[in-house]
Amino acid sequence: MKRLTALLITVAVLAGLVAACAPTPEVVEKVVKETVVVEKEVEVEVTKVVAGTPETVVVTATPVPPPPETEKPTGHIVVWGWNSAMRDTIEASGVLADFQAEYPDIEVEIVYYAPADVYTNLPLALTAGEGAPDVCLVENSHLAEYVHLGGLLDLTDRVQPYLDKMNDYKWYDCEKDGKYYCLPWDSGPVVMYYRRDVFEAAGLPTDPDEVSATIATWGDYLEACRTIKEKTGAYCFAHNKANNFGRLYEMVLWQQGLGYYDPDTGEVTADSAENIETLEMLGQFWEEDLVSDALEWQDPWYAELGTVNLEDQPIATLLEASWMDVFLKSWIAPGTAGKWGVAYMPVVEEGGVRASNDGGSVFVIPEQTKNPDAAWAFVEFCLGRDQSQLKLFAISGFIPSLETTYDDALFLGGDSFFAGQNTRKIYADVVAEIPRAGVYGPDYNMMNGAVMVGIQRYAAGEVTADEALKEAAAEIRANLE
Amino acid sequence: MAVEATITAPTERRRELWRQIVKSRWAYIFISPFFILFLIFQFGPILFSIYLSVVNWKGLGAMEFVGLKNFTYLFGAGGAAFRKSVLNGFILFFMYVPIMTFLAIVLAVILNSKKIRGIKTYRTLIFAPYVTSMIAAGFTFRLLLEQKGGLFNIALEALGLPGIPWLESLWGARVSLCLLVVWGWLGYNMVIMLAGLQTIPRELAEAALIDGASPVQAFFRITIPLLRPVILFSVILSTMGSFGLFNELMALFYATRGSGPMRATLTPVVHIYQVAFDNFRYGRASATAYVYFALIFVLAFLQNRYFGRED
Repeated sequence: MKRLTALLITVAVLAGLVAACAPTPEVVEKVVKETVVVEKEVEVEVTKVVAGTPETVVVTATPVPPPPETEKPTGHIVVWGWNSAMRDTIEASGVLADFQAEYPDIEVEIVYYAPADVYTNLPLALTAGEGAPDVCLVENSHLAEYVHLGGLLDLTDRVQPYLDKMNDYKWYDCEKDGKYYCLPWDSGPVVMYYRRDVFEAAGLPTDPDEVSATIATWGDYLEACRTIKEKTGAYCFAHNKANNFGRLYEMVLWQQGLGYYDPDTGEVTADSAENIETLEMLGQFWEEDLVSDALEWQDPWYAELGTVNLEDQPIATLLEASWMDVFLKSWIAPGTAGKWGVAYMPVVEEGGVRASNDGGSVFVIPEQTKNPDAAWAFVEFCLGRDQSQLKLFAISGFIPSLETTYDDALFLGGDSFFAGQNTRKIYADVVAEIPRAGVYGPDYNMMNGAVMVGIQRYAAGEVTADEALKEAAAEIRANLE
Repeated sequence: MAVEATITAPTERRRELWRQIVKSRWAYIFISPFFILFLIFQFGPILFSIYLSVVNWKGLGAMEFVGLKNFTYLFGAGGAAFRKSVLNGFILFFMYVPIMTFLAIVLAVILNSKKIRGIKTYRTLIFAPYVTSMIAAGFTFRLLLEQKGGLFNIALEALGLPGIPWLESLWGARVSLCLLVVWGWLGYNMVIMLAGLQTIPRELAEAALIDGASPVQAFFRITIPLLRPVILFSVILSTMGSFGLFNELMALFYATRGSGPMRATLTPVVHIYQVAFDNFRYGRASATAYVYFALIFVLAFLQNRYFGRED
């Protein structure tokens, strides 16, 4: 009997895990107010800490038109987001204070959640019909899943003024059946970060333009990596085998406009000839032992990025989005200031774009919000205004998806962490080139989950790239049925 | 008359039952919270997931009736992950349950003897991991087991041995998981064994020793057979445990959302969780949960049948 009870309880717990909740509430009909804001020519001083030395960046923004005498929204809003974006950026940049100065009657309560916690709690709150915040920060990788799940407020009317001002590609995950459910914050233009000292020791050029010219294709990259390994012993970049979760592979797919599926037809392309070639191309680096086995976002990876001395064999390059900029400076590799450079990523085939995307975030407003106007006021103030976006960018390096900011003086200055190089201009150039791709989407987690197993098995030498991706694609297709 | 009797008898019995209930109402009131919560949060969902298993549902929006498709799908290409997870459950079971059970019995026998000083301290120390958060322990193990810079490999290299890719290979991942599970659950199993041992009269083993049996013989011939029902209980719990590992995996293999390298450590419960809460396929997850339940039920039944018989 005891055994039976134990069994019953296990089943119960398990079923409890799976079973879900109440239906959604009715969509709250929202009132759209034309909010136009007044402000004089503004000049903001932002003190930025770059590897210990404070550096003053002057943000000049174009004057914003005056607001009409409409009533400002009031009330309490709850915002979910992670530390690096909320505390270290929205709060530290002073944008939150600016918002409160302009909307003194909106009380903003920020709840700090790590991204993984947002992705656990937000869908549960959306499906449960209660418990969601008024505003939530979401990475693009998860955005389309929630847009297709439902429960987000339709922002179509409110985002109209921004449709042409934001990077085109940022709207794809945000849209469903002609309706929009987010306002983009930042984009993830991928560049090649490289260590000038390692390149010099290997006899490679160190000037960013020359590096971009020398390492123009993945073929060149392979050559350069061989040279680096031979001359300095250092690994070229990190690409873990056993626990690979497909991040780099996705970046290279995205660069070519490929992905797990065709965003126009929905057809699964995870095993296309181009995908297989891409995986084999990355496999070449494993085969020749040119890459380190450090897993992204874990200690050994931080350690090799933060390695200061050449003798300790720092990692030579890193293909990653521009938001990596601030992470390198602030907590991953503060000791390496002045040693990095930024070049364009190499192309797979000549004639392709030297641009890809990784990550990037948006704000969404769940339908459950009792105060959509206050929520939208916050979202629009932070992300829709040049002045706010530039302040956020200056302190964080999160490049705005808002293209009207790109003419600002902020995009002209040098950065001492990168030996005085003007990196922001490169990020802005890359953003403009990011193609549309079928990487993120309504089933991203499932597709990524199947493909990562394929990459791991290929890396372990268990199967060929062809077999690995065919199996993964078969699994994806069966899951979609 | 006869008709009347058949009618009154059940009524009377019912009345008598009711009288009994009223008489012990306080007892029922005091035990009721469990049953109320169980009905709402566990029994309700069990019934609901039967319904969910025959529909497609994302958690919001319309439910689409699909019949048995969510079950048949488990046997096609889409079921690869589930089949792998079941295989992993068996592999993990055979990797750690025999060792852990054996160690638990040995420790329990040692700690049951009166000859050791500071016995309570040892018991506490061995039980301590069970009350430690498995997430915290998992993260600590991950740091210890890191291939480069992890304490385990530093120690191995100091001894002149090559480092082991603990978390970075198919079998390394499984061994790492078993280390964590044995560390975390040994104390719990030991306490079960200890409780069992205390029901066995000490005289039996003592008599055997007087009759000339060695302590090892007494252990295998007297203690183990008498402990059999308790061992069975512990093994059945461990069976369910090895198919249901979850926290341990989320901490150790965070990057792959618990699957581990090449799904080496994906368990049915992690798989069901991923299907429901990462992929928003509640229908498939519910169907999978029922298949999983049937499997565990059969396993527990077989274990009970073949190892639980009193000779």
